[in-house]
Formats: sequence, C-alpha cells, structure tokens
Amino acid sequence: MEAADLELFRRSVQQTTSTAGGAELDAVLAKLGWLDAVAEDHAAAVSVLFEHLGLANTTSAALDELLALTMGLARPLDQVVVVLPALRQTLPPGTASGGRIAVHGLGTHAAGRRESAIVAVTDGPIIRAVAVPLAKLERRSTAGLDAALGLHEISGDLAAGDAEDLGPVDWDDVVAVGQLALGHEMVGTSRAMLDLARTHSLERMQFGRPISSFQAVRHRLAEGLAAVEAAAALLHAAWDEPTPNVAAMAKGMAGRSARTVARHAQQVLAGIGFTTEHPLHLYVRRTLVLDQLLGASTELTRQLGDHVLTQHSLPAAFPL
Amino acid sequence: MELSLFKAEVDAWLDANGRELTPTFDGIGTLDDQMDQLRKVMRLAYDAGFMRMGWPERVGGLGGSNLFRAYLGEALTRRDLVEPGIYSMPEVLAPTMIDFAPADLAAEMVPRLLRGEEIWCQGFSEPGTGSNLSSLACRATRTDGGWVVRGQKVWTSLAQYAARCVLLTRTGTTESAHRGITALFVDMDSVGITVRPIETMHGVPEFCEVFFDDVLVPFDRQLGEVDRGWSIAMDLLPYERSTALWHRAAFLQLRLEQLVAVAPAGALDPTGVGEAVQLVMAFRARSRGTQRRLAAGETLGSETSIDKVLLATAEQAVFDLALEGLGPAILSGDDPESIRWRAEFLYSRAASIYGGSAEIQRNIIARRVLDLGDEG
Repeated sequence: MEAADLELFRRSVQQTTSTAGGAELDAVLAKLGWLDAVAEDHAAAVSVLFEHLGLANTTSAALDELLALTMGLARPLDQVVVVLPALRQTLPPGTASGGRIAVHGLGTHAAGRRESAIVAVTDGPIIRAVAVPLAKLERRSTAGLDAALGLHEISGDLAAGDAEDLGPVDWDDVVAVGQLALGHEMVGTSRAMLDLARTHSLERMQFGRPISSFQAVRHRLAEGLAAVEAAAALLHAAWDEPTPNVAAMAKGMAGRSARTVARHAQQVLAGIGFTTEHPLHLYVRRTLVLDQLLGASTELTRQLGDHVLTQHSLPAAFPL
Repeated sequence: MELSLFKAEVDAWLDANGRELTPTFDGIGTLDDQMDQLRKVMRLAYDAGFMRMGWPERVGGLGGSNLFRAYLGEALTRRDLVEPGIYSMPEVLAPTMIDFAPADLAAEMVPRLLRGEEIWCQGFSEPGTGSNLSSLACRATRTDGGWVVRGQKVWTSLAQYAARCVLLTRTGTTESAHRGITALFVDMDSVGITVRPIETMHGVPEFCEVFFDDVLVPFDRQLGEVDRGWSIAMDLLPYERSTALWHRAAFLQLRLEQLVAVAPAGALDPTGVGEAVQLVMAFRARSRGTQRRLAAGETLGSETSIDKVLLATAEQAVFDLALEGLGPAILSGDDPESIRWRAEFLYSRAASIYGGSAEIQRNIIARRVLDLGDEG
C-alpha cells in the first residue's frame, strides 16, 4: 500500500474499532473494504487492523474472514465463521473417518450471529475445508476468563453428506496467517495496557509526587515497552516470508511479551488495576486468551526450540 | 549501486579471498592477533572498494546508504573474520568526525580509520564519570599554543593500539555539567599521554586507563564548538546503537546456530533454546528496522535505547544457553574453541553494562520515549 493509502486505512480502522464492535464493526469494516486491503497488502492490512482490535479490546469477525480468505474461499465472506482449533491447539478442528466428520473446536464472537461454519477437516493425508450450517453443530456460548470475547465451543458429529466440500486447503498457511493476526492483536492489547499504566503512573500521587517519578515504576514501564517493540518488530519481519515456523515464532514471542507487559502494567496499576472499575482487567483477560488461541506461547516456544535443535539453523534470515 | 548487487559482490569477494582473509590463529587468539586480523581485513576490504561504500565522498567514501556498511559488517561477522565489537568502532567514531571535525581534518583522517591503517579510541568515561557522563572532569585549559589537557579516562577501548582519540574534556566550570564540555581529536603519541590496559574478567585487555599530563592539543583539533561537546556525545550515541548493533545481531545469530550444532544431544532445554531464538530474531528484526530508518534519512534518537536493551537481553540469553549446553568446555576446556566460548560467555556479562548500562537505557526509555517526566 502507498503510504498515504495506508495512513488513511489506519485512521479509518482506528476510528471504526474505537466506536463499534460485533456485527456493527463487521459491517463498517466491510464498507471500508478491509479484505481488499488484505489482498493488496497482507502485512500492512492485517497488522493495522488486528493491532487496533487489540487496542480497542473489541470483537469482530475479522479473524474468520481473514482465515476464510487465506483458504481461498470465494467472497462474500460476510456470513462465514471459521471454526478454530480448541485452545492451545493448532491441528484442524475436524476429522473425517468412515463417512462421518467429527468437529471439536472454537467459534469466535461471530459464531453467535452467523450461520455458515467453515471447518478444516483432516481427511487421511489431506486437509480439506467443508461448509456446514452452524445449526447442524453444537454451539455453546462460553463466558470463561474473557466473557466479552464471546468464544463458542463448537462440536458435532456429521454425516459427510451434510457438509459441502470446498476442496483441499493449505492449513499450515491458514494457521500461520492466523497466528500473525493474533500476534498483532496482542501487540495492541500490550500497547493499551502500557498506556493505561503510564497514565496512571503520571496521575497517581504518593509521597507527594507522581509514582512515575520512582525508578522502580519507570523501569517496569520501560521493560514493557521494550517487550512490546520486540514483539512488534518480529511480527512485522515475519511477513517477509510467513512460513509456519516463522509465524509460530512470532506468535510465541508476542504472547510472552504481552504477558510481560500485563504483569508490569498490573503491578503499576496496583489496587485500581485489580478492580473492574478500571479497564485493565479487560485487556489482561483478552491477552491471556489470545495467547492460547492457535497455539500457546509456552508450547510454541518449546516447539521452536525443538525445531532449531533438529535443524541447526534459525527459522528466518531477515536480510537487510 | 543496488544493495542486492553489493551483497552479491561482497559474498563473491569473500568466497574468492577466503584463504587470505581467514585468521592465522585458532579460536579467539590474543588481542594482538585480533587487531592484526582486523587491520588486515579492513585493508583488504578497503582496497576492494567495499569498506568505502556507505561513507560520504568527502571523507574518501564512495557514497550510498548505511545499509552497505551494515551488510559488510554482517558478512564479515557471519564468517568469523572479525570480532564485531572492535570492527564496529568506526561506526561511532567516523560519524563524529564527519559531522563535527573541520572538513579538511575529516578528509585527511577518516580514510586512515576505514583502511585499518589507524585504530582510534573514544575517551568518554572517567573514574568518577560512568553513567553520569555530564560530570566528567578531565580538564582542557586554553593556552596561547592550544588546549592543554590534564586528567584521566577509563574504559577506553583499544587505547593501547590507538593513533587518535576522540576526547571529551571539561572546559567550563565544574558545575557547568553538560554545558561546559568540549570535544578534541588527540594524537595518542602526544607527549604526556600514558596508557594502561586493564585486565578483564574475560581475559582480553581491550579496555584501558588513559592518563593525560598537560597534553598539548592544537586548536585545529577541536571538534565542534567550545563548550558544546555534549551535543557531539548525544549525536553519536544513537550511532552506537544502530549499525554496530546490526553487526552484533549477526554475531549472536551465528553463535546460536553453532551452539545448537555442537551442544551434546539433550544438553539444551528446548524451551530455553526457543526463548533465545525469539530474542535474537526479535533483536535482529528491531535492528533491521533501525537500519532502514537510518537509510531513509530519519534521525535516530532515544528510541535506539530499546535496541540496546534487546541486544543485552538476547546476548545474555544466548550465552546463558551456551553455559548450559557447553558447560564442561566453558568451565574446564583449554582448547582454542573452549577458550573462545568461555571468553565470549564472560564478555556477555558486560552486555548490560557497556555502552550505557541496562538501567541507563531504561531511564532513557522512561524519560524520552515514554515521556514520564523527571525522576524524583
């Protein structure tokens, strides 16, 4: 994207995400042509949108639409929900066997308001996508740690004939794009938490001065900023060549960094940050759940280490 | 020249001249060995034209962006032809000369530095002046014949090899702090200079104490304006955290790859490896962004303290892992490879101390980047 177009896109996204959520946000994003922006410049469009989703702590069907687009599905995608693997998992949520398809996974907020589920199904050696009316699946809204995120547990056992075959998909690529998007969303939640902590530190007076004047507080915030900038840099570089290993590395780093920021921000915000009268808890909740979607940072980090120990080379070059 | 073409030419040249460029010693060698190697590689790279790329024509360069310098240092580091810390010193010293020295002085001196013909040092820290640089006390007094310098510097890297020193002196009152500092370009063979190398924990005496006993420095060796030396220090600090750090990222990447290749099976915890890989690659990604901003003509500032924090964190993670994976070699090995791993492990302890400590970098981030106001 040209710099001017990108700036316009950024401003529109910022305004949209800070004022709307759910179906309303989906509609505005559609009008904004966000999927066109993705087609034109993957890295820029995904990073801008998902970072702002994280900043605003809002919900949308953007992840569903992005993953469906990555699967190569034809638009319009405005009624589509892509079933995600269960928490911590990255394998396809569907398994085909003996003429039946078993589904066990998660739906986003959009699963509560859309009707067509796309399920990636392991079918012997290949992975294919199928379309299933959500009505044919069990759909249970879950509150959990982050009720506002509106996740759904999706499960079912279908006759293969009840699902429309959409053909083979490159599931590794779908996971990689999803991991990068979630990584950018955690950069957004991180920046928001850091900003809340920064503002509080400047306003909160103790011993006759703002707590931002205490080095212990300043260093926590500095540490948080270094963590989020490291994650953001790695995510942006990952778009060079977003192979599965690179994307998993970037999401693992983003998850670890976001949890570092959450810890420092929570400590700086202290008592007020532990109440529901302050918005910090919303971001902490969101961060912890995003970290577990499409692979948890603990697991992704260990897998990265295993891979590097086997291959004796790092997963990316990041040339100048 | 396109960067891609430059890269291909550098790589082809390194392939073709491997024998001549390779160190004649095993492992880390002595510091004398390393300095001979550094001078040799720089001269050959200069004669081949590569070392001149990315430096302005008025100081003997061939022009073009800083990315050329970044790549050359990376390529030399990747092949273990230079130690990136000492190789990168011109990245800090040459820009100072280019920006602040009289034009004819810069044109005369900088090529000697780039050609490896001369080593220079940077006289900033003093026994009483570590993190608080603006408290420096090494005094320069104006006389009819020039500045006369009296005082002491410490942690002056490579002073025992240096032909010149970019020296910060006190020219104002003791209380003038950052307002009364003047920078001078001093010949190290001047009468009255004594250099004493410091034995370090990692066994490489690269830091020195430098004593100045009424050393005469001609007026035409003054850098910038009188009492304005602080701005020189502030201008060059971001340089210290840009191209030099890109070279360091290449070094960490190389050592991490070597570590996972040579560590005995089962000696490394996969989670620790994964964390170190993430930190090194994130540092590299961050530093690449900084290189690109510099190439685009942006002025670097306090945000480069983030790069330094990431370097120190990544370097210590890599060598903590090395101690885990190569413990016996690092603890008791006496072969050249073990000695090198041991020295580099120990040197990594200093990554959060030199070039502005971890605490100072966090202070800068808090004050200048997060805009948290003054400390109490």
